[in-house]
Amino acid sequence: MPTPVTAARQCLTEESARALDEAVAVARRRSHAQTTSLHAVSALLSIPSSTLRDACARARSIAYPSRLQFRALELSVGVSLDRLPSSKTVEDPPISNSLMAAIKRSQANQRRHPESYHLQQLHSNNNNINNATGCSQTAALLKVELKYFILSILDDPIVSRVFGEAGFRSCDIKLALVHPPVTHVSSRFSRTRCPPIFLCNLTDSVSGQVGFNFPFSCQEDGFDENCRRIGEVMVKKSGKSPLLVGVCAMEALRGFTESLTRGKSGFLDGDLAGLIVISIEKEVNEFVTEGNEEKLGLKMKEMKGILEKCTASVGGGGGGGGVVLNFGDLKGLFLEGVLSDSVSSLVLKLTGLMEVYRRKLWLIGAVETVEIYRKFSDKFPNIEIDWDLHLLPITSSKSSFDGAHSKSSLMKSFVPFGGFFPTPSDFRSPLSGRNQSITRCNLCNEKYEQEVAAILKVGSTVSVADQHSENLPSWLRMAAVDTSKGEDVAKTKDGETMLSAKVLGLQKKWDDICQRLHHMPAIYKLNLTPAGPQVPIVGAPQFATEKKQSSSEDPSINESRFPSQSPSTQIPRTSEAENTNFQSRLLVDVSSLAQQTDKVVRGFTHQPQQNLSGRNPSLFVPPVTTDLKLGTMYASTSQESNNLKSLDHKERLQRGSISAEFDANTKNTSYQFAQSSSCSGLATGEQFDQGDYKSIRKVLDEKVGWQDEAVNSVSQAVSQLRRSYGSCRGISCKGDIWLTFLGPDRVGKRRIASALAEVLFGSQEYLISVDLSSQDKGSQSNSIFECQELNGYDVKFRGKTVSDFIAAEVRKKPHSVIFLENVDEADYYVRHSLDQAIRTGKFPDSHGREIGINNMVLITTSTITKGNTTVFFEKKPMKFYEERILGAKSWQIQIVVGSISDDVSRSNVTGTRVTKIKEASASAFVNKRKLIDTVESSELEKTDTGERVCKASRSCLDLNLPVEDTDEDLKLGESDSESLSENSEGWLEEFLSQVDKKILFKPFDFDGLANKIVKEVSSQFQRTVGSEVPLEIDQEVMVQILAAAWLSERKGAVEDWLEKVLGRSFAEAQQKYHLTSQSVVQLVACEGVVVNEQAPELTGYLLFSLPALPRFIYNLTFLELKIAFKDWKGKMLLILCKLSWCDQLMNRP
Amino acid sequence: MGNVLLEALNVRVVGSGEKILVLAHGFGTDQSAWQRIFPLFTPYYRIILFDLVCAGSVNPDYFDFRRYTTLDAYVDDLLNILDALGVNRCAYVGHSFSAMVGILASIRRPELFSKLILIGASPRFLNDKDYHGGFDQGEIEKVFSAMEANYEAWVNGFAPLAVGADVPTVVREFSRTLFNMRPDISLFVCRTVFNSDLRGILGLVRVPCCIVQTAKDVSVPASVAEYLRNHLGGRTTIEILRTEGHLPHLSAPALLAPVLRRALSR
Repeated sequence: MPTPVTAARQCLTEESARALDEAVAVARRRSHAQTTSLHAVSALLSIPSSTLRDACARARSIAYPSRLQFRALELSVGVSLDRLPSSKTVEDPPISNSLMAAIKRSQANQRRHPESYHLQQLHSNNNNINNATGCSQTAALLKVELKYFILSILDDPIVSRVFGEAGFRSCDIKLALVHPPVTHVSSRFSRTRCPPIFLCNLTDSVSGQVGFNFPFSCQEDGFDENCRRIGEVMVKKSGKSPLLVGVCAMEALRGFTESLTRGKSGFLDGDLAGLIVISIEKEVNEFVTEGNEEKLGLKMKEMKGILEKCTASVGGGGGGGGVVLNFGDLKGLFLEGVLSDSVSSLVLKLTGLMEVYRRKLWLIGAVETVEIYRKFSDKFPNIEIDWDLHLLPITSSKSSFDGAHSKSSLMKSFVPFGGFFPTPSDFRSPLSGRNQSITRCNLCNEKYEQEVAAILKVGSTVSVADQHSENLPSWLRMAAVDTSKGEDVAKTKDGETMLSAKVLGLQKKWDDICQRLHHMPAIYKLNLTPAGPQVPIVGAPQFATEKKQSSSEDPSINESRFPSQSPSTQIPRTSEAENTNFQSRLLVDVSSLAQQTDKVVRGFTHQPQQNLSGRNPSLFVPPVTTDLKLGTMYASTSQESNNLKSLDHKERLQRGSISAEFDANTKNTSYQFAQSSSCSGLATGEQFDQGDYKSIRKVLDEKVGWQDEAVNSVSQAVSQLRRSYGSCRGISCKGDIWLTFLGPDRVGKRRIASALAEVLFGSQEYLISVDLSSQDKGSQSNSIFECQELNGYDVKFRGKTVSDFIAAEVRKKPHSVIFLENVDEADYYVRHSLDQAIRTGKFPDSHGREIGINNMVLITTSTITKGNTTVFFEKKPMKFYEERILGAKSWQIQIVVGSISDDVSRSNVTGTRVTKIKEASASAFVNKRKLIDTVESSELEKTDTGERVCKASRSCLDLNLPVEDTDEDLKLGESDSESLSENSEGWLEEFLSQVDKKILFKPFDFDGLANKIVKEVSSQFQRTVGSEVPLEIDQEVMVQILAAAWLSERKGAVEDWLEKVLGRSFAEAQQKYHLTSQSVVQLVACEGVVVNEQAPELTGYLLFSLPALPRFIYNLTFLELKIAFKDWKGKMLLILCKLSWCDQLMNRP
Repeated sequence: MGNVLLEALNVRVVGSGEKILVLAHGFGTDQSAWQRIFPLFTPYYRIILFDLVCAGSVNPDYFDFRRYTTLDAYVDDLLNILDALGVNRCAYVGHSFSAMVGILASIRRPELFSKLILIGASPRFLNDKDYHGGFDQGEIEKVFSAMEANYEAWVNGFAPLAVGADVPTVVREFSRTLFNMRPDISLFVCRTVFNSDLRGILGLVRVPCCIVQTAKDVSVPASVAEYLRNHLGGRTTIEILRTEGHLPHLSAPALLAPVLRRALSR
């Protein structure tokens, strides 16, 4: 009577139950009336990270390629399943008697070996191993573990036959099952680079001959490492008797003794081979608890005999041998926590033994904690010497290898093509395929099976009567017979090999087709999931090798082994027919994919035809073409890797484009640079040797006219250092130049650095610039400086540390200027690297790899100056200072016309002034009415034109600034106030003391420039509009203009802009809208409207939308400026059309 | 072998002092975890920094699944590094996983270590009859399966938990190094850690130890520190940091540094 599935499940652990469910599913799919062991095997083989498959992989004979043997296994399982009679589909095919019996058997097995059961329980209940012995009967219903489940199924004769047909011996598999699977898994990972240092992995081939004494007891997992270490102790001259200490010590001891008794002493050195373990644990226990001395005495006698023999054999010259005396848990010597006197006699006995047979006797034992051992050694103070003990900490319990089991499934979650990822055993079963998440669909599977059948039909030498029952088994039977006889194995196996290769080819083909057609969405979906970066790395080479294997091996085998086989053209025909058939269906089915697949499929069918027509039809043509097909299929359809690669590629492209952009940017600037100072730059190239100083100075001066002293000292330092290095050229001497630019004027520093790069190395591209403070700060959006600072941390570094980035850049450009801004904010790694670099002339990256920096110029900058005196004395009231300018936004600038009707006091004021018109522009688009109010209310002070006025305004305006500026100060302060800043200052000082030359920079005279600009603007304004109309310039605008002037490479760019752009716009404004003294013209920044984002919809008060100048000037050459101006004019006209409406508004009383 | 090992594990020696200090990072980080700590000690110590073989910064090929099944293999690595560098005595600072390694190393070679500073250390992470390690077997299995299912998600969930303190940069940094680890290695190491049980052997430690523990640590309950002190064989002190999280060297270097300095000077 078959058992219902639910009843059977009750006897199983969760894992086993899952396997059973799979088996039931297999049976259901095949419409079988019952679930048998065969179904279970099929299911077990198909589970991802299948224990059974792993075991098979390890148990298989080395003679044949594993893939083929697995293929054969799958086939034989499949065939056996085919032979079962099918009936109408049952919801859950009940468990057959044979399978149920297997479950019962495994239950019994497990009960017989309570240690393993309790070891398992140990982890859930935290039970101590020591008190577990007695309670095995209490468990009424034992849950069968997967391992025991599999072991029992393997007992089933039909199953062992199936395995036998595939060349496996089920006893081998069983053996493999109870051994740690790590050995296999790790072999994939321990590559040549790190050869296994300890050869403690147990070779199954040896133990296979010993004989299979199933069932083993537990402790198969995790003894490798512990055993190895025990072995290490035992090899030693003194202190060679290991006493294992630790909670898991008993387990380790048991594992060790068991592996020794089983004769697996691979972990022991040659000297120790052939050790015999004698365990007196039980006897000791009885002796201690019951005073039963008899058995112990017997055992001791027996041991003495053996020892005598050993020593005798040593005398005779035969090495090896010896006795390991296992006294078990040290706790066993205690009776109710006390060491009785009788124990002393035992200890003495053992001590005596050790004295006599020191060379051939090892004691071994375990103790849970050191405390127990201490009690023991308190009683026997000399025990450590007497017994030659060595305390060996044991830290790991079993089952740390579960990780290895789940490995493949884990990897699977990372690999889009779970099924395709080569699992440890490197194969995919056709049967299992059905159960896996990504596999062939029914249709493809059908086709595939047809083709397999066709191949097998051809391959079999026996005439075919019945496709199902006769054809397949005939071949398999032959194979089985041959294997069992052990004669002519190679030949049959090769036949099998070829067939399997064919089958494999077919399977792959259909897999691929199916995957392409029916699983495309799945692929894409999976690609979106975060796939680890290692996927292509892991996956791709595997594929490559696989391909190579199949293409290189198979043809040669075929050609050499089967020259006399009868020719057959049947195979290609069938597959052809199938393919065309399939092809047509394809075209109907999936239109978008059809084309692609079409090509592939055509390639498929095409090749065999060609080959057939080209050569005599012989048997080895088909396999060869199969391989070709495989090749093409793989080349064109290895989608997962392609897809991943393309993702990767895209990313790289993105990165590339970013860097390209960056390059373009620098090029752009360098172009400008070249234009403006081409003659000097090029000319200096030749003059270096003579007039180094002068030429450098000249170029730098041109670039940064305002930093006289700094330029002077830089050029002096560089030329001097170069000369001194030049004189000792050839001798290994330091050739790197270290400069530090201290103080303000960031742009000046940068400009000098890039000019140096150009002068010294020929191009600005040889400037490696890193802002060391930018790692933490996100760059401000829309900042003017943003455009030149494409070197945001993320973009540039992408997970690299700064020092790695620098090292990589240096490697690329071995002659260059390294420009490190804000060195005071460098992180520790960079500091360390810099320290070392300045001392040794070699820059280490974060892994300690060094790269020479000879011939480099390293410039570090810091805003901090020693003593801070210079900064402070410059910090007298300033309207425009560097931090503020650095915060400049590249917003559009507008000319706003307002009226000053209400405010009497204002009416008498004429001239130009710089003021703060903040809200005005912000609300410009929002509310017209409000604007006037705010404009008026925000005008807090007035000044006159002229220099005198500006001076006054400077002091007055300061009152206005705080609101905005404190923010900025705070922000700047933040980055400085790191928790370890005091340390950083110390470091900086030390670092700076080693630098070749420190150069102090003056602050850029923004106020002076501002005055100049204001003067210029007002003269423009007066020339076009008249002196009676007041002009107000927003501070924000001023900041922008200043920033632009600061940044612009070309002298006079701002003046040009003022004249050509601003002047004309004033003129137009005057023309279109007759400005009187009643109106106020304001130059405001259009907050939030970024340049380049054209905003033609600005209506209302907005008369002009000027192209914002800073970036404008920064980026464009003069010619381009002109064109842009034209553009701008066109737009302006558009805007002016809307003026009539504005006029009405303006003329309101 | 020595040099290969030093290179493989990115061993670095920095600092100019006489005495030698070994900084060993824990699970899920690499030596960069010490970057906020070690500069403070470079004037006084020669500092040895290295990566555990399981760290993301080490070539995963070096991770032999067969070898690194117990902590002892890591101990071998540590001792090999020290031998290769010719160290004959050093102070050892180990975080979490490396604290376990340090304990074992000091048992094997007590003469090598002058002091052990154990940050976030635990002899056993799983609960037992009369021991509270902080984790239940079932819990751990859940964690493992979560790691298997979606490593990245797990990392993103685990990192803030482990860091504890609300320091986004540290969470990011820890997530980075954690995610750098190959997931199978990470899981494997995790299992190794949770399978390890040092309780029985703590008594074998003879080296003076300092246990540094934060006020709240998801991985290590406060009772564990007490357990360690009671069972460690050497002279042992406990330092409680007034912060949270399992990674004080990342999240609160300013707090940890003086404690380390004090502990080292004793």
